[in-house]
Amino acid sequence: MASLPTSVEASQELLLSELPEQMSMAQDAWRRLQRNRLAVIGLAIIGLFLATAVVSLVWTPYQTWQQALGPTYQGPTPAHPLGLDDYGRDILSRVMGGAGIALTVGVGASLIASCTGIVLGMLAGFYKGKVDALISLVVNIFYGVPDLLVALILVVLIGRGIFNVILAIAITGWLGMARLVRGQTLSIREREYVEAARTVGTPNLMILVRHILPNALGPIVVQATYLVPAAIIFEAFLSLLGLGVPPPAPSWGRMASEGYKALQIAPHIVLAPCAALSLTVLAFNWVGDGLRDAIDPRMRR
Amino acid sequence: MSRGLAVYIVQRLLLVALTALIVSSVVFIGVHQLPGTALISERDTNPATEQILMRHYHLDLPWPQQYWLWITGLVHGDLGESLVNRGVQITPLLLREASVSVTLGVAAVIITVLVGMSLGILAAIRQNTWVDYLASTTAVIGYSVPSFVWAFLLILLTVSGFYTWTGGFIYEDIGWGKPEQIPVPALALGLPYAAIVARLTRASMLEVIRQEYVRTAWAKGLASRAVILRHALRNALIPVISILGPLITGIIVGSVVIEYLFGIPGLGQEFVNSILSRDYNIVVGVFTFYAALVGVANLVVDLTYPLLDPRIRY
Repeated sequence: MASLPTSVEASQELLLSELPEQMSMAQDAWRRLQRNRLAVIGLAIIGLFLATAVVSLVWTPYQTWQQALGPTYQGPTPAHPLGLDDYGRDILSRVMGGAGIALTVGVGASLIASCTGIVLGMLAGFYKGKVDALISLVVNIFYGVPDLLVALILVVLIGRGIFNVILAIAITGWLGMARLVRGQTLSIREREYVEAARTVGTPNLMILVRHILPNALGPIVVQATYLVPAAIIFEAFLSLLGLGVPPPAPSWGRMASEGYKALQIAPHIVLAPCAALSLTVLAFNWVGDGLRDAIDPRMRR
Repeated sequence: MSRGLAVYIVQRLLLVALTALIVSSVVFIGVHQLPGTALISERDTNPATEQILMRHYHLDLPWPQQYWLWITGLVHGDLGESLVNRGVQITPLLLREASVSVTLGVAAVIITVLVGMSLGILAAIRQNTWVDYLASTTAVIGYSVPSFVWAFLLILLTVSGFYTWTGGFIYEDIGWGKPEQIPVPALALGLPYAAIVARLTRASMLEVIRQEYVRTAWAKGLASRAVILRHALRNALIPVISILGPLITGIIVGSVVIEYLFGIPGLGQEFVNSILSRDYNIVVGVFTFYAALVGVANLVVDLTYPLLDPRIRY
């Protein structure tokens, strides 16, 4: 060590000059995420997906519902790069429109499920006792129930609008989030800073919002990211069984379902939406993996 | 079998029964709040016939009474009668279909575990080589591609592909009934989960092969086969087993879609058909079956822990 600083001011100056530029946790995570090649590719694909979804609202090469644009089951041609489907609709336009539906369903269901799961999970973990017993009982009983079957029944009960489909997916999606948040809350509420906040008389709601939620946010963001592709696949399952977003909306699952009967003679009808769906899900999973590693480097495999 | 184990199994089975009861009660009560039933869709029935039918199915009673009748039937193993196909008893029908679904499900689980574990072990023992990268990349792609997309690809490969390439020599249609028709749907159903198993096996193997007892096994000159399979794998499998529970639930969900696509007469297809025709008696019945299946499968998974780790006892 060199000569000791003589005044307080000098010592501060020294420390500030030696410290690297300060960074928030989020900035640090973002920097690590950028170093993850697959996560960056995933982000790029998601960007393309978002752009397609937005563009499809105002413009698609043809109208998604417009039939008889050419011979039915026609393969790729310059005018229709992905070919035509069984009604002679342009598949490229429909795949583009499908991005909008997938985005709405994926993000909508993830948001609703996450918010429900966060609120109930924090309540269970923070108050423990009877509140926890009740919430955990519901979660544990329904955790083992196949979620698709619940969604199928619900869609038949409440109808098939896009919002109902989102609701049907979210109604089981929150269980995993609630489990995660409950566990996080149980451990965070015992930390010293929560105890300190309690000693100075911070109200419970304030402790939950200002201290517990921000400290549990990392795993929550990761889980919410994984919920988006799960919801997109889920919607495709529902559409495949004829109970998803109603026609003529170009949902990827419905397109696959309609093309299935002609799989042997015109595989392009099925393959185009399936490729779009798989690529989107893959991108979200890559970003989810990257976020997980970036937010908590210890969890890195 | 020790006494403790027997008590544990009985306890767990009671819990399964309780869960199935609660879940199916929620569905029963939910479904019976609806205005319509399968009977309403029959336009040609005259009021007198409808009266008789309503009485036959006890639909004229208030729902708490219907619920009581259903519960008493359930404890006797009687799930009632189909609303659409009159006179068809639901319990034997679903038992028959469950045997189909279980065959498919077990085949899928076997494929999942075999493919997933092999890929995972391979990636772990060849860590950071091209084998590892290939296996790991395949795994991420594997679980991002949903089961029905695998189904389309496999159908194109086996039905159209094999037919064209062998000049019509091999032709095997999709369906159910012949043993050779089992692998394709089972593979489609199992592949996404095989990828998850592969990832977990790799991570868990990597942790185990750095432990000292594995080094000891190498040091005393055991064959690599014995070290990997007998010493490392056995302990590496414990975390892998823990995801088999959710995995089985996932395979059941996937089987609904796969059975529908392949025309396999199992519980999943029955569920979709009966929900579309509003045959609520069967819907509730299938739910009860699934809740029980998930519970029993989880019990079987938990019973394998002591086999791998003698420290775990029930």
